[in-house]
Amino acid sequence: MTVPFFALVALLLVLAAAAPAFFDPANLRDLLLAAAPVIVAAVGMTLVVLTRQIDISIGSQLAVCAVIAGVLAKSGLPVALAGLGAVAAGALIGSVNGLLVARLGLPSIVVTLAMMVGLRETLRWITEGIWVRELPSDFQWMGLGQDAGRFVIPALALGVWAASSWIMRYTSGGRAVYATGSDAEAARLAGMRPKQVVFWVFVAMGALTGLAALLSAIQFIDVQTNSGVGFELRVIAAVVVGGTSIAGGRGSLTGSLLGVILLSTVGPALVFLGSQAYWDRALQGLIILAAVTVDALRAVASEGRGPGLRRR
Amino acid sequence: MTRAGLVALVLAVSAACGGGGTDNVLTVAMMPKNKGNPYFASCRVGAEAAAKELNVRLLWDGPTETDPAKQNEVVDAWITRGVDVIAVSVENKEALSTVLRKARTRGIKVITWDADAEPDARDYFVNQATPRGIAETLAGHTARLLDGRGEFGVITASLTAANQNEWLRQLRAVLAERYPDLTLVDVRPSDDDRRRAFEETQTMLKVHPGVRVIMAIASPAVPGAAEAVKQSGRTDVRVTGLGLPGDAKPYLKDGVLDSAVLWNTEDLGFLTMYTAHALATGALKPGVTSLSAGRLGTRQVDGDQVILGTPFTFTKDNVDQFKF
Amino acid sequence: MSALTVERSLALCLAIEIAIFALLGSNFVTLQNAGEIIRASAETGLLALALTPIILTGGIDLSVGSLLALCAVVFGMTWADAGWPIPLAAGAAIAAGLAGGALNALLVARLQVPPLIVTLGTFSLFRGIAEGATAGVRNYSNFPDAFLFLGQGAVGFIPSQFVILLAAAVAIWLLVHRMTVGRTLSAIGFSIDGARHAGLPVARRLSLVYVLSGLAAAVAALLYVARLGQAKADAGTGFELTAITAVVLGGTSIFGGRGSVRGTLLGLATLAVLQNGLRLSDLPAELAGVVTAVLLVAALGASRAFERDT
Repeated sequence: MTVPFFALVALLLVLAAAAPAFFDPANLRDLLLAAAPVIVAAVGMTLVVLTRQIDISIGSQLAVCAVIAGVLAKSGLPVALAGLGAVAAGALIGSVNGLLVARLGLPSIVVTLAMMVGLRETLRWITEGIWVRELPSDFQWMGLGQDAGRFVIPALALGVWAASSWIMRYTSGGRAVYATGSDAEAARLAGMRPKQVVFWVFVAMGALTGLAALLSAIQFIDVQTNSGVGFELRVIAAVVVGGTSIAGGRGSLTGSLLGVILLSTVGPALVFLGSQAYWDRALQGLIILAAVTVDALRAVASEGRGPGLRRR
Repeated sequence: MTRAGLVALVLAVSAACGGGGTDNVLTVAMMPKNKGNPYFASCRVGAEAAAKELNVRLLWDGPTETDPAKQNEVVDAWITRGVDVIAVSVENKEALSTVLRKARTRGIKVITWDADAEPDARDYFVNQATPRGIAETLAGHTARLLDGRGEFGVITASLTAANQNEWLRQLRAVLAERYPDLTLVDVRPSDDDRRRAFEETQTMLKVHPGVRVIMAIASPAVPGAAEAVKQSGRTDVRVTGLGLPGDAKPYLKDGVLDSAVLWNTEDLGFLTMYTAHALATGALKPGVTSLSAGRLGTRQVDGDQVILGTPFTFTKDNVDQFKF
Repeated sequence: MSALTVERSLALCLAIEIAIFALLGSNFVTLQNAGEIIRASAETGLLALALTPIILTGGIDLSVGSLLALCAVVFGMTWADAGWPIPLAAGAAIAAGLAGGALNALLVARLQVPPLIVTLGTFSLFRGIAEGATAGVRNYSNFPDAFLFLGQGAVGFIPSQFVILLAAAVAIWLLVHRMTVGRTLSAIGFSIDGARHAGLPVARRLSLVYVLSGLAAAVAALLYVARLGQAKADAGTGFELTAITAVVLGGTSIFGGRGSVRGTLLGLATLAVLQNGLRLSDLPAELAGVVTAVLLVAALGASRAFERDT
């Protein structure tokens, strides 16, 4: 957890020195707004990774849920219900993933790979890329207006994060997630139901992706039908950089939040610092590698022996 | 043993059956740059209409994402399948030209539309607007909005997008020649994602507070940039660019978006089919200077280019007439 | 045992595919078309072959497509801008591939950072360097015909890529199934700590497979540039997904410890035939994605079912 924290502090110090305009309140607000959907999805992904699974289908899920929200709103449903529909759709997709992984025991990377490709291609086939337009005017900001909307969306995202943090820390459900990821067999012997935990974690991931889709979609007046490309990589990178271990059982939602904030800040920070657009991707990759390398070196130094003797 | 036997049996049976159909209907294979793009979806509408009028079989296929290799593979498949005409909107000029030349040596007629290949790789190019023409129109709007001097920024598609890079090349030339007092401060990619265009525009307005015009040269970037300017409350900034009228309409009405440049995409698809048909039937050949294209009337043929027209500017006054 | 059963089901799928497309498609069952299928899948084939031993160790390499782009750009740059002769430029591309693979190897084998994360980072880094070096814009082309023959030429109906693909398939097959290295890789995939405790040279073997992957990406880059006649930073987009799908479809377990090169080749063939067949049958390309998704789940479900019974 400390790696993203220090990296973020370092980045902010550089910005304070070289591009103080970054700290303009309007800019910070816009960055938080942009990060809101990623924060919500990162909460779900943290749970998934904690249980030693992965979900690379959330980008396609995002696209599908956004389209569903738009289509429902266009058909006359009140926006709140359309939003609920998006979340429900996400939960449904998540439950399919969960069934295949938990019940049938299929590897999550393959299941979600199939879901990612299947969903996106089907969506593309049906929509041919044509956006969902001419939505009712209360779709944007859910009718709250720009000022309220721009406050509610990040507040909601942070609220979801806070509630989830509380649940993970203080409820048996949260402990079950950690236990399942740490050692599923031991958890089972201790009376927990790791398969159920995994199933519900995927459902939660789906529902949270649906919510993320909604929070993203209501910032605009229409719905793009192939959004979310690369979203899963963004979220996974944030969770991993935030300190949640891919091997399961170790990590925190606080770390993931920091990971999201760090990675969401890097892009705009580079622009403020005058970097050219065509070096963006290389710098993003470098930052991910730097973060995990530092973490690995720390592990070697602190444990005094090879980190490989850490349980896999 | 049984596995190999099964495969052998299948092959024997299928070789005996043969496949596909041979009839006297002209087959035109038309490929967009990628299928998930509403711009091309509207071209298809026009193409389908023309195909019905002309009684031509239209095969519409292409990559689902902009992958340079995929377009080659689709053309290869069409060569194998056997079609009469191939009509392609070219994503990567050099790459595709190789396989288009191959198609021509097999007797297949080749035309390009929307984006050209190398001239010796195709018979005709259905041109809706030259890259130079597009650049001039966009620069003209920007200059008008800035009163001849000032800063502007560009939101493009992806950094590797061939069309956009060509337009940018021409744009810089036009700026140097005609509008030396306009400064292009930065070019940021949107990767054809509206949200990305939105966020890049927000950042650009803050990093370069002197920017007064945002030029969005990718379809999803136009509403993205316009929404960003609108939400920023910067009434001194306007947007122009290249985009679909349907996406642009609300922002044109708002006033945030001053103008959206494009052409009638349905007409483009329509004209492409008519060109393909004329080429296959021999009505279009070197020396011909005009082409009769159904509801589009007579179109000018300039050497090896069939001209749709000049870039069209959608404004808040005329955008209602268009349905795409 | 399970890998073999998955292979059988996959071979059956392939046979059914061929039968369907033979009926629906035009000129599908021709030698010419078979050649085209091989030509189109040569690059992803090389990547899938190199991924097989990696996935065997329980690892993964998401960066292969991006490394392909970087090698392609290095090739184009050294030839066009620095004026190097083609063989030397090719050497530079291969060096770039080996360097990229070495970076992955260093982080995975020496620092023991999980491969998913390392290659997620290099996935961005490699293509990012290619984009940065070309400003995204630069597109190298007009290569000499002798070089282009590598990607566009044929001897009769056999495309020029066939030889390279065949050589790679044989080499990887020997590595995985006939050399002790292969057994070591399986052991690592089964239990990396167990392998270490048993005294196996884990770090060395892991380094080997990731460096090999880099080499494969470089050779694939050369084939790609020769086939398309251009070298640009967007080369190989999405290739890693196709390659991983082929390997997994072929029965190699993503958890590691169990795998088959023959399965990878079958998986590759299934995917390539699917794409080609759909096009020749005038069916929409999106169907390929949907069918692939179904095949993946079905193939894995079948392998699970067989596993339970044994």
